[in-house]
Parts: sequence; C-alpha cells; structure tokens
Amino acid sequence: MGHFITSKDIPADGEHLKKGALSKWINICGLVALVGIIASVWLLFSGNEAANTASDTVAGRYAYSWLFAFAFFISFSLGGAFWLLLHHVSNSGWGISVRRLMENLASVFPWMGIIAIPFLFPQVQQHLFEWMNRHREVLGSVTSYANAKEILHHSYGQFDHMLYAKAFYMNLPFWLGRMIGYFVLLGGAIYILKKISLAQDTDPEPGVERLKKSRKLCAAFLPIFALTATFLAFDLLKALDFKWFSTMYGVYFFAGCALNGMALLILTSILLRRAGYLQTVMSPEHHHIMGKLTFAFVVFWAYVTFSQFFLIWYANITEETSYFLLRNTGNWNIANIALVFGHFALPFLFLIRQDVKKNPALMIPITIYLFILHALDHYIIVAPERGPSLTVGSEAGASLLPSGSVVWLDILAFVTVGAFFIFVYLRTFTKNSLYPCRDPRILESANLFN
Amino acid sequence: MNTKRVYGYLAEFKSASALYKAAEKVRDAGHKKWDCYSPYPIHGLDKAMGMKKSILPYLVFCGGTLGIITAFALAYTTQVVIYPTVVQAKPSNIFTTAAFFPIMFELTILFSGFTTLFGLLALMGLPRLNHPLFESRQFARTTDDGFFIAIEARDPQFSSEETKTLLEDVGGSNIELVEEPAS
Repeated sequence: MGHFITSKDIPADGEHLKKGALSKWINICGLVALVGIIASVWLLFSGNEAANTASDTVAGRYAYSWLFAFAFFISFSLGGAFWLLLHHVSNSGWGISVRRLMENLASVFPWMGIIAIPFLFPQVQQHLFEWMNRHREVLGSVTSYANAKEILHHSYGQFDHMLYAKAFYMNLPFWLGRMIGYFVLLGGAIYILKKISLAQDTDPEPGVERLKKSRKLCAAFLPIFALTATFLAFDLLKALDFKWFSTMYGVYFFAGCALNGMALLILTSILLRRAGYLQTVMSPEHHHIMGKLTFAFVVFWAYVTFSQFFLIWYANITEETSYFLLRNTGNWNIANIALVFGHFALPFLFLIRQDVKKNPALMIPITIYLFILHALDHYIIVAPERGPSLTVGSEAGASLLPSGSVVWLDILAFVTVGAFFIFVYLRTFTKNSLYPCRDPRILESANLFN
Repeated sequence: MNTKRVYGYLAEFKSASALYKAAEKVRDAGHKKWDCYSPYPIHGLDKAMGMKKSILPYLVFCGGTLGIITAFALAYTTQVVIYPTVVQAKPSNIFTTAAFFPIMFELTILFSGFTTLFGLLALMGLPRLNHPLFESRQFARTTDDGFFIAIEARDPQFSSEETKTLLEDVGGSNIELVEEPAS
C-alpha cells in the first residue's frame, strides 16, 4: 500500500511522451508498411488468370496471406474497443489509469479499413469467396438480383439451393454495405468516445458529465461492437467456406480479440512503465487485474473453441464437419492439437499464480507467447482454405504443409500489416496525455487495491 | 470444584481504523497467537496483522488436478478399456478423449470446490460448537458494532501484565481477561 496518492501527485496536464521518443520506430514501421503495401498491391493485382485455377497463382495465394494478416491484427484493435466499451458501460473505476491505452488501441480499428480495401475488389474476392464467383456468374446473364435468385432457386447446381436460401444475407450489395458499415459505425463510436475523453483532459472545470455521457453512449455502442466483431468474422473468415455452419464462430473470433487485446494492453503498459511513464497512476495491482482478465479469456477461448469443435464432432453432420475434416488432417491436426496445449493448458498454468501476473519481467514473454499462439490460431482458420475446395483445383491443396513460396507470402503480408498496425498504434501515443489526467476517478484508480 | 483456564486478553477498539492501527502494533510486538474481530471485512487487515498467505490455493490446485485425473481414468477405463463403446462411428481409443472433456471439466470443478470448502473448514478448525471468547459478555457486540483484538495465553510472549499494558498502549479499552471453564 504505502503512499496514498493524492491529486497533488498527478500533474494537471497529465504525462506526455517526450517529443520524438517514438519517432524512430514510427518512421521505420511507416517505411516498412509503405514498401510492403506497394509490393502487396502489385502481388494482389498482377498475374491473375482465369477464375477457376486462380488460387494457384501468386495473387490467389497472397489473398489468403493478406486475409490472415488482416484478421490477426484487427483482432487486437477490436479487443481494445471491447475493453473500452466494457469499462465505460460497467461504470468501472479500476482502469481509468489505463483507459487511454484502451482508447489508443481501439482507435487503430478504423485505420485497419485501409488494409481491408483490397477485399472490395473482384480480382481479390474471386480467390477467397467462392459464393461471390457463383453470384457473379449468375448475375452475368440477368439484370436484377431478384432474377439471379430465381436462377439459383431452379438450378441443379450442387450448392446452388444453399446459395438461394442464404441470398438474403450473402449477396454482393449487402456484403459491400456491411463492410463499409463496420468501419463507419464502430469507427465512429470509437472516435466519439475518444473525443469525449480528450476534451476532459483540457477542461479547466472537469466534472462527471462526460463519464455519464460516455456510459450512456456505450450502452448503445456495445451492440454495434458485438455485431461488428461477429459479422466481420462471418463475412471475411467464415465465408471462405460458404457451405459450412457454425453458430459459435462469432464468439470464437471475439474470444481471441478480447484475450489478445488485453495482452497487448498489458505489454504496452509494461513497456511504458519501463520507460519511466505511468509511475504514479499505475501499480502492480493494475497488472494483477489485467492479468486476471487475460487468464479469464484464456479459459473462455478454450471453452468456446472446444464447444464449437465438440458439438460438430459429436453430431457428425456432413455440412458441419467439413471445417474440422480439413483441419484435423495431416499436419494441420498437429497444429490443432498444439493449440489445445499451447493456447490453453500452458497459459492457464503460467497465469494461474498471482505473483506471475504482478511480475512485468514474466508478463512480457507470456504476452508475446500468447500473440504467437494467436497467430497460429488465425493461421489455422485461414490457411487450410487455400487448399482443395469446391471450385478450386486440388493441386494447391495436395500438400497440407504450406509450400515454401506460400510461407514467404504469409510472412510478407504479416510484416506489412503488422508494421502498418504498429505505425498507427504508436502514432496515437504521441499527441495526448498517457492517461485521462482530469478524470474524476483517476485517484480511485491510482490507489487501486484488490 | 469449578476450575477456570485463562484464554487470553480481549480489548475493544473504537473503530475499524483504530483496530487496523492497533493490529500493526501488536504485529510489530511479535505476537503470534492472536486475532482481530470485526463486524465486517476490513481491507488490508491481513497485511496489518502480518498474516502469511494461506496454503489453500495449493490444496485446491492439487484437488483440481486429482479431479481431472480421476475423471479421465474413470471415463477411459469404462469406455475404452473394460467396455469399448462405439457411438456414431467414433473411435474407441485415446482420440475418444474429446468426449470425456465435459466429465473432466465437471470433476475438476467438483473436486476443487470440495477441496476449497473442506480445506477452508479444516484450516480454520471449523465446525466447532463453542469458542472461549463467548464467555465474554461484551464480545457479542463483534457482530454488531464492536472491534476487538484478543491475544491468546498460548502466545509465547503472553504475560498477564505486559500483554495488558500493550493492549492499553495501542488504544484498547474495556480490557478483559477471558477465562474458559476447564473441562
């Protein structure tokens, strides 16, 4: 416990990073991202051949790499948005000291829309989303969507009736609208929350109005987040195999978001404290709470992931098993079993002790370990779909381990999107105070004891 | 003939903060067998009393591990070894384990829960029918508005004068020597 922190200990203008403290990293990441994006655009939009064998082209393989990197990095910012919204809506006091970090992480989300732009182009979509290919094929001969739906209805194509039944949701205009809606609505929500929070920092007479306003707004924003996280996962990841069913998929994606969002918040706060910031407002107690939430979501992730597998495995229905048949074959099965122990059992044992959660020297490797396993998790979601499927030839899928050239494409996409993510994330730290210094409850949070 | 045995000294304190500060001083005086009594939990009092961390978490971890092993052994022995049961073309071997997970989960929780409850009762010496402090009339107020410290006679540092002086020095009032009927 020791010294009780009072308002005298907290500077009126908060703590700011030293000017140029991050500029070296921002410049490096910005440069890497710029070069990577130029190379990626060239890879994605050159060398396309006819649609049916397209997945074997470099562009086809790279589309999957890009999707993997995008899904991995957007999950951090979605996690940040979740913790920010939850913190406001539950009227929490403990995390005021780290709320600005949540806001910074969440505010990366709208920028990730730039990475999603390639998914809007048919040249990229044709490799990823087979249902779009069939829709375009049918639309080619008719003028309106209603007519296209009728053609699907009366077609004898193997999966056309499923496309007809799902047409209310899986159609091109609605898909495009949703993609834009996710980034505009949730991005707008995050922007509004951050703006309210920043206005408090300079208000000479700060009161509780902004807290109350944020709480009310968040009650409305939380459903937007839930829909965005769920249907973003449906539209980009689950739709890789449109004939597959799983009601657990949205919450499965969300569990990874919340877990790794919190892990990244822990890592960020530890690095800031190591650099000499956040000394008065944060204590090991904050790391204890954040570690507990990480621990909880390690268990939640395992619970949800196993629930999805278990019901499908037990029921053994043809429409549902395809996902796990692919992923429990050959080398993918080894990776999947590694996930059981690496993503659940080991972190469970790491994080179960209180002194580990309060020890920054141990939490840095643990959070990085969680990121690596999260990357494996998302790789298993995306990469196997590069293999054999309904319309794409079997040659690419013949070897279950990704061939050498594919791994290099994955690494290029990962580094590019990662550099872009870090570039945007670090830039959010440069302008504002590192914590909401005039929040009415900053003292409550600084003197946290649990 | 009725003989009585000294249990220890009981002292009352005005408030939770007075109790907290007194606890720190009693701790620093080096007493081991003593306890604080208050109508509600006081944050940080365990630190002020210098209490060590409980060993209960380790017991619960062992209980949970025992639960998961028990469940796996139970399910595996009955479903695979003794009476292989083929359900919906599922294998009857080590890969059946996925079907055992709910049982493994349940028994882990059950054994952990039991270890928590019974380990807690055992560590606290509960249940017991009576406590020597119930001999004191004023002690009943600990469930209402009284804050007390009791230093037991079996404490190595206990002495009839010095302990009383210590309790007076740390701000205790209504200091009482509690005696229990020897059985």
